[in-house]
Amino acid sequence: MKTLLDVQNLGKRFEGTQVLNDINIKVTEGEFIAIMGQSGSGKSTLLYNISGMDRPTSGMVLFGGKIISKLDDKKMSEIRLKQMGFIFQHSHLLKNLSIRDNIVFPGFKAGRYPRDKINQMADALMEKTGISNVADHDIKKVSGGQLQRAGICRSLINQPKILFADEPTGALNSSTTKDVMNIINKVNTEGTTVIIVTHDAKVAARADRVVFLMDGTIHDQLKLGKYGGENELSREKRLSGWLEKQGF
Amino acid sequence: MKWMLVKNDLKRNKVINFALFLFMFFSAVLAVSSIIMATQTFTSISNLYQTAQPPHFLQMHKGEINQEEIDEFMSDYDDLTYWQTNTTIAVYGESLTVVSDNRTYNLSNSQLDIALVKQNETRDLLLNSSHEKIALEEGEIGIPVLLKETYGMEIGDHVRLTSNGVSKEFVIKEFILDSMMNSTMASSTRILLSDEEFNMLEGQVGENEYLIEAYFTETSEASNFQTAYENAELPQDGQTITYTIIFLLSALTDIMTVFVLLLVSVLLIIVSFICVKYTMITTLEEEISEIGTMKAIGLPFSEIRDLYLYKYRALAAASVMGGYLLALLISSLLTKHITATFGNNRTDPLAIVLSLIGAFLVYLLIIYYCKKLLNKMKKVTVVDALVQRKGFEKDQRIKNGLYQSKKLPVNWLIGLREVFFQFKNWIIVFTVVLIAVVMILIPVNLMNTLEAPEFITYMGSSEEDILIEIENGEKLAISYENVKKVLENDGTVQHYNEFRRVRVQTTDTEKERINLTVDNGVNSGAELQYLSGKAPGAGNEIALSYLNAEKVGKGAGEQILLYVNDNPQQFIISGIYQDVTSGGYTAKAQYNFSELTAEKYTFSVNLHDQVDERDKANEWSRILGGAVTVHPMEEFINQTLGGVVKQLRMIVLASSIIGICLTILITVMFLKLRLAKDFSEIAALNAIGFSEVDIRQQYLIKTGAVAMTGILAGIVITDVLGERIVSSLLSLSGLGINKVAFISNPFIEYIICPGLLLVLILLVTWMVMKTIQNYNLISNINK
Ligand SMILES: Nc1ncnc2c1ncn2[C@@H]1O[C@H](COP(=O)(O)OP(=O)(O)OP(=O)(O)O)[C@@H](O)[C@H]1O
Ligand SMILES: [Mg+2]
Repeated sequence: MKTLLDVQNLGKRFEGTQVLNDINIKVTEGEFIAIMGQSGSGKSTLLYNISGMDRPTSGMVLFGGKIISKLDDKKMSEIRLKQMGFIFQHSHLLKNLSIRDNIVFPGFKAGRYPRDKINQMADALMEKTGISNVADHDIKKVSGGQLQRAGICRSLINQPKILFADEPTGALNSSTTKDVMNIINKVNTEGTTVIIVTHDAKVAARADRVVFLMDGTIHDQLKLGKYGGENELSREKRLSGWLEKQGF
Repeated sequence: MKWMLVKNDLKRNKVINFALFLFMFFSAVLAVSSIIMATQTFTSISNLYQTAQPPHFLQMHKGEINQEEIDEFMSDYDDLTYWQTNTTIAVYGESLTVVSDNRTYNLSNSQLDIALVKQNETRDLLLNSSHEKIALEEGEIGIPVLLKETYGMEIGDHVRLTSNGVSKEFVIKEFILDSMMNSTMASSTRILLSDEEFNMLEGQVGENEYLIEAYFTETSEASNFQTAYENAELPQDGQTITYTIIFLLSALTDIMTVFVLLLVSVLLIIVSFICVKYTMITTLEEEISEIGTMKAIGLPFSEIRDLYLYKYRALAAASVMGGYLLALLISSLLTKHITATFGNNRTDPLAIVLSLIGAFLVYLLIIYYCKKLLNKMKKVTVVDALVQRKGFEKDQRIKNGLYQSKKLPVNWLIGLREVFFQFKNWIIVFTVVLIAVVMILIPVNLMNTLEAPEFITYMGSSEEDILIEIENGEKLAISYENVKKVLENDGTVQHYNEFRRVRVQTTDTEKERINLTVDNGVNSGAELQYLSGKAPGAGNEIALSYLNAEKVGKGAGEQILLYVNDNPQQFIISGIYQDVTSGGYTAKAQYNFSELTAEKYTFSVNLHDQVDERDKANEWSRILGGAVTVHPMEEFINQTLGGVVKQLRMIVLASSIIGICLTILITVMFLKLRLAKDFSEIAALNAIGFSEVDIRQQYLIKTGAVAMTGILAGIVITDVLGERIVSSLLSLSGLGINKVAFISNPFIEYIICPGLLLVLILLVTWMVMKTIQNYNLISNINK
């Protein structure tokens, strides 16, 4: 399997405090990684730094074999637009656009396909995530779960190689969490690499590999293997046992 | 407890509270200083007029007078309370040389007719800056403020008078306020000497000229008196002026300035208020969840409202008080010109009282605004506030449909769609730009109009190179022959028109006989702009000036009965034109009234192209002598309108600067507030792949589009309303103009001004947007 993301000796300092220290991870294509750790351990910071939203103070990040940690804002934005997808705790949709417009506009911006085709792809994504019925609604008039699903559709409109998610279920109840995670797993099985930051062991149990962060360094990793449904309970048990060992 | 809350809040929201403070402060400064300025101007002027007592009727006269005849006529006239004849000595500018500490200069380039005078006893007094009657000792001289300002004279400078072999030196003791001849629009000016020296110089240094002055129980009696005076064949070799004109000539420019400034202030106050409102909405929106919490824990609405009201009261009180104090401090600066022209440098108690009331009104208005806004809180539910973080604004309908766009780049789509579908968000920038455009273009257009050569044809004169006037006097007939001879024999003359002024009678709206002076000649009235109708044709046709038409209550096409040597004769009014010459009361006809004697001759002369008008005018002036005045037209226009144009230029400069600063200030403030509000959205955009350049472009498109609509609206308003506003202001002035069609410079109006504003706004946006680089966008993503 090819390495998609290669993080080497990554460090990040914020005015005097070293938040991340000597991080090394290789992410292969199609992999699903969950990052866990105490609040303040540096999970979000790590995600931002490996996805080019922020710049590491030391070390480097290679994406598809190319160093991206030194690119300027313009080039980096283009990579984020065309090859990466992002999901946040809150959907962060533009408040002046409808659900549908929110999903298609990054597609129009990337311009990889004609606009008609992008609209068809958006329809398909909304169908898949079950929000077709609210497609033309105002974003203030739909539920939190629907918003989060719209956020996922937006992140997938440009068929990214990799999907980054920072606590995508943090604001959702358990049944919606399950729906959202099913979608993410499906996306992953269709070939998209996924890196997700989460507090929720049930969410992390969906991943192939769990990385535990402590005080800005990788404390330990757990390989779970591909999520398949039948061994769900035992996966969760393994994970929670491991997490206890980490002091979580 | 409440004070603690206020203090904490002020600390927490420094930027927004400071912005709020500034806007309230501005509103107060503007309101108070414009009130002070307006009151100061009007009290200074009216105080000057009360003390100086300019005449209600003034007849200037060159040549001999018979005072007994005048006295006889005056004492027989009812409603006349006082009269006097002032003797003045006409001197040329060349005769006066000023020696100051560091330079020596001559007044030969002055356009004004200079007259030496002595102080009057009780009326038509020349005053010092404290509005006291000036008394001079021998060797002292009082110089009018107008000359002081033109030449920069100082108290203590020496003035040397050399004329007809007499030479005498004076020291400037006082600068005098002349209630009659205070502005450049008056063509004469008076220099004060001590009684002894005046008597000594009389008959030696220049010809005598007389000012025959009359006072009535009512100033409006002046025009009836004028008719009687003219018919009595009393001395009238010179201009006749009535009180209204005196007042207007002296005070018009300053009143106009104050008017424009008031207008500008009102516009600025409106802008400040919009900002106050906007800023308050923003603050309250930021605190919406706090309001929700308070509601959730069961605090009654009235208490929550009082909490906020308390804060805004404190803020408003502080800023209005601060603004009031600053306005008081700078008011002397603002009223400097008024004080210089009209004296009376004490701040009038009335100004203080009115400005206090003004400041209090601003405070009340702010509080009223607050209450109205806070009452909206009542409708915000706990759920809205806490869960959906809904603001106060009514739910704006989102326009679905970006996905249908086929071509437009995404940054344009996002930018333009917000401007078009959420225009309300941008109303503040739109309004400010609109106001700035109107504020700049109206004075610019007005100045352009006054400076345009055609303008004179609106004003009752034809557009020629040289104007020759022969005023009534003994030499009228001889001078007329001389002028004809000169014009006929001069090869540089291309063509000329002559007009002969006669006096006929007609009846006004109250059926009273009034005089009508008619300029007749083959081409009379042909080159004027007509408000209605057209120039008089051959036969019994006459065109009336606007003021005369009002007086007789008739319009174009109507019949008018003229009494020519008491014989009634029917005429048809061919048209109405506006006129500022001769006080605005004139008429034009081709009909030659040959049975009447001429009172005045006017020649308008067109020279061949290559001839210098000024040289020619000087040459003829020398040949023709004192009884004939020869003006190059340009000089004539400059002399009558120069002062106004100069003042207007200042206004244009000031209003452009204010307009531009205002636009920049508000755009920056607005963008800063908007950015604070939009930060998480910007961060999200950046995260999903929009570079800072893209985001900057979106904002540039937004402000650019808003600015363009504002500019367009401003231009439309200027074109539609500008002429009307200016025309109604001018017709209020009673000068004889009631309609001004702007002669605009399309290059300035449609290209320079809009282009400059647009570029500035884009530049400012670009600079504000540059600051987002300094923020860590990502750290805002979860806020
Ligand atoms: N922009 C910043 N400037 C300074 N310090 C920062 C910044 N962003 C994060 N930090 C610090 O870095 C540390 C890690 O923050 P981070 O947000 O990555 O934690 P986290 O693991 O995501 O926590 P949580 O689970 O609460 O989201 C924290 O101590 C935080 O205070
Ligand atoms: Mg985090």
